[in-house]
Amino acid sequence: MRYDHDIIVVGAGNGGLAAACRAAGAGYDVAVLEKHNLAGGVASSFVRGRFEFEASLHELCDVGSEDDPGDVRKLFTELDSDARFINEKNLFRAIVTGRDGYDVTLSAGRENFRKSLLKVCPGCEKSLDRLASMLDRTSEALAYNDSKKGKPNKLVMMFKYGKFLISASHSLDDVLRSLGFNSRERSILETYWSYLGVPADELNAFHYFEMLKGYIRHGAGIPLLKSYGLSLSLCDSLLRRGGSIRYNCEVTEFIFDSQKKVIGVRAGGDEYYAKHVISNVIPHNVFGMSGKNNVPEKDRRLLNARKFGMSFICIYLGLDKSAEELGIKDYTVFISHRKTSRLQYDDEENMGFYVVNCLNLAVSEASPEGTCSLFITVPVTNGKLMRGVKPENYYKFKQRIAEKYVDDLCSVLGIDIRENIEEISVATPVTFARYFGSPDGTAYGYRLSGWDGLMARMLSKGTELDIEGLTFCGGHASSGDGFGVSYRSGVEAADEVISKLGGKNDG
Amino acid sequence: MAEDKKRIKLNMGKFLKIIPERLKRIKNSSDDDMKPLYSYKPNALAAAIHPKEQFVIVGNIEKLCSDTLLFTLLPDKEKGTSSLSPFQAGQYISVSVSSGKRTYSRPYSICSSPSEFADKYQIAVKRTDGGVVTGILHEEIKQNDKLTVSDPCGSFTYEPLRDAKTVIGCAGGVGITPFISMIRAVKDGMEDFSLTLLYGCKKPQDALFRDLLDKINDPRIKIVYVFEEGAEDNCEKGIINAELIKKYAPADKYSLFVCGPHNMYTHIEKEAEKLGIRRKYLREDARGQMIHPEKEPDFYPAENGDYAVTVISSSAKTELRCKSGETLLSAMERAGVTAPSRCRSGECGFCHSRLVSGVCYTPARADGRRAADKVYGYVHPCCAFPRSDIVIEIKA
Repeated sequence: MRYDHDIIVVGAGNGGLAAACRAAGAGYDVAVLEKHNLAGGVASSFVRGRFEFEASLHELCDVGSEDDPGDVRKLFTELDSDARFINEKNLFRAIVTGRDGYDVTLSAGRENFRKSLLKVCPGCEKSLDRLASMLDRTSEALAYNDSKKGKPNKLVMMFKYGKFLISASHSLDDVLRSLGFNSRERSILETYWSYLGVPADELNAFHYFEMLKGYIRHGAGIPLLKSYGLSLSLCDSLLRRGGSIRYNCEVTEFIFDSQKKVIGVRAGGDEYYAKHVISNVIPHNVFGMSGKNNVPEKDRRLLNARKFGMSFICIYLGLDKSAEELGIKDYTVFISHRKTSRLQYDDEENMGFYVVNCLNLAVSEASPEGTCSLFITVPVTNGKLMRGVKPENYYKFKQRIAEKYVDDLCSVLGIDIRENIEEISVATPVTFARYFGSPDGTAYGYRLSGWDGLMARMLSKGTELDIEGLTFCGGHASSGDGFGVSYRSGVEAADEVISKLGGKNDG
Repeated sequence: MAEDKKRIKLNMGKFLKIIPERLKRIKNSSDDDMKPLYSYKPNALAAAIHPKEQFVIVGNIEKLCSDTLLFTLLPDKEKGTSSLSPFQAGQYISVSVSSGKRTYSRPYSICSSPSEFADKYQIAVKRTDGGVVTGILHEEIKQNDKLTVSDPCGSFTYEPLRDAKTVIGCAGGVGITPFISMIRAVKDGMEDFSLTLLYGCKKPQDALFRDLLDKINDPRIKIVYVFEEGAEDNCEKGIINAELIKKYAPADKYSLFVCGPHNMYTHIEKEAEKLGIRRKYLREDARGQMIHPEKEPDFYPAENGDYAVTVISSSAKTELRCKSGETLLSAMERAGVTAPSRCRSGECGFCHSRLVSGVCYTPARADGRRAADKVYGYVHPCCAFPRSDIVIEIKA
């Protein structure tokens, strides 16, 4: 059958849902096509016994409070979502084991952040002052750049915003060194590297600072009904705005006209035509469904030059005692047996780095009374952990890996949860590949490293993947991964499309 | 540390090199078309372990007893299923069968060994009174017929990190099937635990797989028959209860695994409570279609005997009637609407649908929905009973 809409959104992930809501709000007839039977993509949860496990979200940056809303909260309000969040004031506890290791807890809020860092790193006041000044200058530079609509005066940028130009073009580790932080201080400050998926010596400093600012200002934001609640709140808004979602509807082909403009998609034997298609599906897969002749050569070269972002192994544990009874005290603990983010990234096989997260300590009703859940996230950076995994030993592999990490976290945190595991589930890159269909099971899109870092992507916007009739959004899009960022990329994609189609549709 | 403290100097000129460097990278990269997804290892594994569907050919059909058949399902290589997907002992597949224009699906535990996953699955199907699908499987399905089954699902499996080293299995009737797979898995070295199986049946001639069970010679596995009527040597008489569990359980901790008819779960739960068994050590298989909602502790009666249901799918709108004691899924099936479903127990979420309007009763015990589903009005039709007229949007 043939269907006609103003806008087709392929994929009901974070970017896709936000884009669809935004476009429907502007009066367009929007249809979302989702290959699974649930909306949300990564923003999902699942039930085992009496536990509901958050599938992938740990926390959001830039949510803020109702009195002082951050970008993400504002965005959800704009999209007419009734999702509720709470804020966690401790940013994280980070433990690096071994000689010269550390065990630190950093707090949100500018002053508290400073105090908590100085407590464990006395003597870095001056470096911290320089960092604060750099963060402020970056914000001013961005505001100036926006005010000039992305065409700033070069001399002004150089003389007034030199610090911005430095953070925008160097790695996080280099910039922190230039500010005078020693290796221990850098290691602590770089703890969030895993949220962007690239170690500090490859990660664009400016990008990291943009995220860090959000966490320092607002703390972490956590949805009350888990990330799946965010997804359903957007679906709800979309339906109220007159849009529709079709589930179990996998797009298998992008349809181009003779001018190489995207005019629709094929899914399940049906054809869906639209004035514009927004893809929440990663460009690699879209190109794979488009036919070589239809897509620009330079973009194919771009995709071939890119590397994929991280995937994860997630271990979900439902425990039959409360966090208090088990001695679990922290909402987020980053655990590592390696001292620099580079080693943490490279040593995937030997527990280089993982995160332990107890949702109950932020949202007490996250699991039934007298229980708690733990969520262990292991970045999969090079796939060495998965070496030798075959269909026939896959389940054993999952059991082995869970055992290894549970043993390790018990010994590092000095707790014992092994007698209290009531439910257990393990997700791997295979799980991510299964549900997202992303190559290599990447959850972070493209690797934000060096030449493909955030600043390079921002400067190239409009010149890449500029295919007529098609706009991308999501964690693989130009602004990089992260929940908040993906929602924002959806809204931006929709705004771009709305302006192309002639603005608000009052018809 | 002196070296470490030294501030390095950075040059803002590097900013100007961002774009040239990027363009160089892109120019020097390959112009090849995208590699197919299956060339990436996680994607290839995902396709092998969790295919969307599996095509099978019915192999041997063996009569296990007067009302139960054992089906062997072989991969249908011609249709593209070169090897069946791996599974964990205790998991089930959802089997789709067609009769006339209608398609039905039902979950059946796999009873073959997980070590033989690639070549075959076996399922045992007991004929039930009025059972549409068991009727079709018993009457219509013949050797060499082609069927479609799901990937293996379910969490009635042994987890070394969670479960005790000793499992006391409580099986009732055809509920023996997942245990048969577990026994084979232990024997084949696929699982590492001790299993004492209490197998409850009405009469000795109802016990299935006796050829296999009576010949097991493995120190990790012990079979105890529990017959209500008719005694045999070395068998227990009566039904499985706390006393019997205690008699065969080890002195230290053990897990209790249960699979059987509906009333057996409720019964064993009470017995487990008497024994003070912690919740984590009591594992139940998916119970399947709920037939007696009125026996649920949170049951509340409906005002009417049946209600009008409007089912919206992507291709059609169907009006039908659903009895207050019948699930929305059953009513849809009766009316010829093919709605997605798998476990039929409320837990897998495959039938997840949006309740556009109306009120349903979902028994708390079978309510596998997420918190947000309840807030935003989604139901699992396989365990939702109408309490008003309903408009529901299914995902088909």
